[in-house]
Amino acid sequence: MALLELDNLSKSYGGTQALRGLSLQVEAGSVYGLLGPNGSGKTTTLGLALGVLQANGGTVRWFGQPLSAATKRRVGALLETPNFFPYLSARQNLLLAADIKHAAPATVDAALELTGLKSRQHDAFKGFSLGMKQRLALASTLLGNPEVLVLDEPTNGLDPQGIAEVRELIQRLATEGKTIIIASHLLDEIEKVCTHVAVLQRGELRAAGPVSAILASTDRIVVRVAPDVPTAALQQALAQLPWVTDAQPEAGGVLSAVLAPGQTPADLNRALFAQGVVLAGLELRHRSLEAQFLELTK
Amino acid sequence: MLRAELRKILPYRTVWFILLLFVALLALFVSVGSGVVINGQAVGNTLYAFPEVWHKLAYVASYFNLLLGILLIILITDEYQFRTFRQQVIDGSSAATLVQGKLAVSGLLAAFGMLVVLGVGLFYGLTRSPESAAKVTQELGAVVLYGVQALGYLSLAALLAFLLRKSGPAILAFMLYAWVVEPVVRLRIPDEIDRYFPTKVFSSLTPTPGQALLDTVTGPSGAMLPSQALPLALAYAALFWALSYLLLRNRDL
Repeated sequence: MALLELDNLSKSYGGTQALRGLSLQVEAGSVYGLLGPNGSGKTTTLGLALGVLQANGGTVRWFGQPLSAATKRRVGALLETPNFFPYLSARQNLLLAADIKHAAPATVDAALELTGLKSRQHDAFKGFSLGMKQRLALASTLLGNPEVLVLDEPTNGLDPQGIAEVRELIQRLATEGKTIIIASHLLDEIEKVCTHVAVLQRGELRAAGPVSAILASTDRIVVRVAPDVPTAALQQALAQLPWVTDAQPEAGGVLSAVLAPGQTPADLNRALFAQGVVLAGLELRHRSLEAQFLELTK
Repeated sequence: MLRAELRKILPYRTVWFILLLFVALLALFVSVGSGVVINGQAVGNTLYAFPEVWHKLAYVASYFNLLLGILLIILITDEYQFRTFRQQVIDGSSAATLVQGKLAVSGLLAAFGMLVVLGVGLFYGLTRSPESAAKVTQELGAVVLYGVQALGYLSLAALLAFLLRKSGPAILAFMLYAWVVEPVVRLRIPDEIDRYFPTKVFSSLTPTPGQALLDTVTGPSGAMLPSQALPLALAYAALFWALSYLLLRNRDL
């Protein structure tokens, strides 16, 4: 069952069209990434889904129903920045949030424990570092044990250790069966934690589906010949091999190409040697996610 | 809902500061009142005699509604600044519950104002004019009318806060509207119509003490009697809160 369905959502701010006819579905149990550069419409999409922005067109359905107080209480969400009363302590802020979510006050302790804020719970929010504010926002999303978590840039402002902890927490929650929706401009983050991804650019959906399908990396093989062999001879030899495609010269006198599935660097080495081309270097280069992402959002 | 509002308000120092200021200023004003000299004679302790003291206090306290209005503006615009309205909507509140929360706060503030007026009146009345103590419960309606007036000004303050979303501009607009804009507009409008203007209606609830006597000399002032103004003031308050709700419901947070 689709747990969240966005149908033909549009939103403009003044003259700027922030979202154009976006439709997507998030299945229960998935970890769904919304990926896109800054200003691509990720936060707008989540704002519409969470009911804080008014859509110019389209519909939002959660659990097969229109957005309501009842559906909201099944979702824990962090949008853009941690939003708390600066003069209240971490604990007071969470107790207030628990009241609004109709969550038991006991869940406040569990959330503080889980996010490592127990020892600072009586300190005012305004004295917190960005990382601690982010943790508190995460703690707040966990109140009332919601089925779905919506996290907008959840590792924003955290140090490397904090980032690793948050990712571990997200993965743990996912294995507990929670559906998690994450917006991020960090490909690495999406690749590490998500099962599905939607790529947004300038308010339009560019691609959506399982991470393995969307961000499937096509590795390139990089070859360098001995100095006494002309590059042209290498190019000619590669052209003879039907399972080598897209040969391109690169900086530093090397060539890169794509091998057909099933072919290994060893096969290439053997085939080139048979043609009298001796290699000085052979390397398999994983295509960067960045390159794949840039390709998608070109 | 009220519990959530109290969780926000009780630990907030600004709230206590403004409420204490309200009490201190009102008490100070009332205590120096007896020293005012009219026609070469100090007014003296007759100022505090029951039951007239209730009318006088309600009139004096009406000037301090400004403080309560500023406090409510701060409490509402804070929620925009801290983006906590946004978070509460994400967490399950609707525009209606958010507005109801602030309406409840305005009720608490008006009740606080009434209690302070009662307290100050009892203290000065019983200590400085004990001979009138038997009439202490007479004309307490003046205090209730003051409470309604506070609700009215607070509804205007809330509307401006929801409209402008920033404390500085909202406070400025609140003071300018009540003290400058509406009075200037009223100058150009016939009395039969300008008595229906919102702050005119609100101020009609706590008439200047002795207004009835003045009217016999100068002719009717054109203002409504408190009893006439009461339903209109409540209608204005309801209208302003309804407009606040529409603003919150139809705009992005």
